[in-house]
Amino acid sequence: MIRFNNVHKWFKDLHVLNGIDLQVAQGEVVVVCGPSGSGKSTMIRTVNQLESINEGEIWVDGKNVADPKTDLNALRAEVGFVFQHFNLYPHLSVVDNITLSPIKVKGMDKAAADKQAVALLERVGLAHKKDAFPAQLSGGQQQRVAIARGLAMEPRVMLFDEPTSALDPEMIGEVLKVMKDLAESGMTMMVVTHEMGFAREVADRVVFIDHGKIVEQAPPEAFFKNPQHERAQQFLRQLLTPMS
Amino acid sequence: MRLTTRLLTTAVIASAFAAPAMAEGTLDKIKSSGVIVLGHRDASIPFSYLANDPSKPIGYSHDLQLKVVEAVKKQLKMPNLQVRYNLVTSQTRIPLVQNGTVDLECGSTTNNLERQKQVTFSVGIFEIGTRLMAAKTSGVKDFPDLKGKNVVTTAGTTSERLLKAMNAEKQMGMNIISAKDHGESFLMLESGRAVAFMMDDALLYGEMAKAKNPGNWVVTGKPQSFEIYGCMLRKEDPAFKKVVDDAIKATYKSGEINKIYSKWFMSPVPPKGLNLNFPMSDEFKELVAKPNDKSAEQM
Amino acid sequence: MNYNWDWNIFFKSTGIGSEIYLDWFISGLGWTIAVALVAWIAALAIGSVLGVMRTLPGKVLPAIATAYVELFRNVPLLVQLFMWYFVVPDYLPEATQIWFKQELNPATSAYISVVVCLALFTAARVCEQVRTGIQALPRGQSAAALAVGFSIGQTYRYVLLPQAFRVIIPPLTSEFLNIFKNSSVASLIGLMELLAQTKQTAEFSANIFEAFTLATVIYFVLNMSLMTLMNLIEKKVRIPGMMGGAK
Ligand SMILES: Nc1ncnc2c1ncn2[C@@H]1O[C@H](COP(=O)(O)OP(=O)(O)OP(=O)(O)O)[C@@H](O)[C@H]1O
Ligand SMILES: [Mg+2]
Repeated sequence: MIRFNNVHKWFKDLHVLNGIDLQVAQGEVVVVCGPSGSGKSTMIRTVNQLESINEGEIWVDGKNVADPKTDLNALRAEVGFVFQHFNLYPHLSVVDNITLSPIKVKGMDKAAADKQAVALLERVGLAHKKDAFPAQLSGGQQQRVAIARGLAMEPRVMLFDEPTSALDPEMIGEVLKVMKDLAESGMTMMVVTHEMGFAREVADRVVFIDHGKIVEQAPPEAFFKNPQHERAQQFLRQLLTPMS
Repeated sequence: MRLTTRLLTTAVIASAFAAPAMAEGTLDKIKSSGVIVLGHRDASIPFSYLANDPSKPIGYSHDLQLKVVEAVKKQLKMPNLQVRYNLVTSQTRIPLVQNGTVDLECGSTTNNLERQKQVTFSVGIFEIGTRLMAAKTSGVKDFPDLKGKNVVTTAGTTSERLLKAMNAEKQMGMNIISAKDHGESFLMLESGRAVAFMMDDALLYGEMAKAKNPGNWVVTGKPQSFEIYGCMLRKEDPAFKKVVDDAIKATYKSGEINKIYSKWFMSPVPPKGLNLNFPMSDEFKELVAKPNDKSAEQM
Repeated sequence: MNYNWDWNIFFKSTGIGSEIYLDWFISGLGWTIAVALVAWIAALAIGSVLGVMRTLPGKVLPAIATAYVELFRNVPLLVQLFMWYFVVPDYLPEATQIWFKQELNPATSAYISVVVCLALFTAARVCEQVRTGIQALPRGQSAAALAVGFSIGQTYRYVLLPQAFRVIIPPLTSEFLNIFKNSSVASLIGLMELLAQTKQTAEFSANIFEAFTLATVIYFVLNMSLMTLMNLIEKKVRIPGMMGGAK
């Protein structure tokens, strides 16, 4: 479904992605973790070309996204993206946030789009908020709307960049629950997160990235029980005892 | 509507308070302050304008104004009377005379009935006819030739009023352009936007003298009105008015007026050394012979 | 001050046809509104395009928009007006020139010049407001829009501009008021808008204070109505739940 071939990216002198090779199969859930500044966000944003790359290839659903001939808008319509800060459109109601792109990009008619939006809102437990505006929702609610917005395009892949790290702790659970349901429905997912509980329970594989390189990838039990790489061990130690 | 009324009332009350006590006459005021304030224009060539010295006006009307100053000095026995200049525009000249800022304005102000409600005029100091300027080649000889044409005049002048009235009464179908000043009116004529420029003949000669090719233009047409310029002073001040009128009349009587006239209308004048070549009209000669302070419509 | 007040002056004959002075003010107000409103609509359209151009990726389009803003903001309005009225027409093809200068009613050709002038001048100012408004939005907004498959055009149309315009309603209001004030330059090329009619009334009637007082009142009422209108619009489009918004 997604394949990185020796991907490099520089921000001026900074070598953020240093030869990434990675494959994500159809229906697979891959969690990406790593220290701050290691390039996780950059990497996940290259999948739908919110960041361009300098070298290498990224294939998504059989299309090379770095190829200038690829229709990026069409590609992005098939790849849902959930941001750390939700990025809902503040001037639109919840339901309009969800229906805007199906109507404008896919040409869906309004009634059908509304119906779909209500169904999606039910799925994330927010049907009663359909006429609210983003500023009237809690962070957790906003993120669930953002997930529904991504799903409205019926994507083949969903990408998440730290979807819970801007949330108050009591709201993290509700968002993870939605993501877990989504994973169970068979969605292909790439998730940047430090929620190790989620990784353990839902992920098929954990990818550890450091200094723009994938230094370890393993099934969750193996990764958590017996990390091979020294940087991964250090990272997990810090994550589990944050006070030290 | 209530707001409007209130604003208007406020304006009236404010101006009432702003009014300095003008019970004393201008002569008393000049005597006690030791200063006479002269109102002048900046670009009424050759009547009152600034040329080389930005602090001191020159011009035909200004020379007559100085005659009045001499008379005031004599009358008040104040040989060292100070003169202060105050620049006025067509919008400020009346209020500045009324509120006591300016004691005497001599420029190119037409004496008319509307203005007589606000100020008093001296005896006439000049008389013009409102006529046309057009290109020699245009074929425009007189006002009837202007039917259906674009005609320019300067905003706020009597010519504008006459031209608009003529257009309405005789249904001439002219398009009348009201330009902001004489220079711009002439620009409209020169650039082909208008076939003729209606204005006071003296001013038309002034514009013609400034033109790139004065020979291309002609002042033509039967005067539609005569206008008498006068100096403005405050109303109900007979003592001052007498000094002003007498000074001007004396200049007329002695024949000195001819020297002043030819200095400004028949010789090169600053700043560019233009010669207006505008001989004294019969109408003005008559006024000089029998000076009076009536407006043209009262004559 | 021995000023001769006469508030009835507005109902007196101007001596031209059957017009009274009030007719002049009404016709002047009509021109003022016609100039300002049309120029404003054009300025808003052109300024928005330029404002968007200044925020686009790449070099050429932003540079063009920047150059435009520098040019039109820094040349005095009066100079621009004279360019549009006296200079530019001289560079038109001969036939168009004659049509514009001689065949067209002078009021119409002055109107066209002043509307073009004010629209282009104000567009530069609108451009800067629009640019600021767009740049004030969180960067995640355009990422979010692009991520669902919107083109750049759709991103601006549906996501960025609706938010940016809400942010800049107050500065746009003051530009809107400014264009009414600036419309008085029209009198300099002979278009009899409100200020020109006021001056003409003052000159002809010698009732200077009455004329300018009425003009002040008209401009004031006009300003207040426009501000009220803009406040209504601002309230109407206010986003529920956002700062100052009614829940
Ligand atoms: N637009 C940009 N321009 C220049 N440098 C950037 C840009 N975006 C990110 N970087 C830099 O690239 C590096 C990787 O950034 P990235 O956001 O991918 O890290 P991350 O792993 O997601 O970190 P975090 O856990 O803090 O979110 C950082 O050093 C960051 O400062
Ligand atoms: Mg990140």
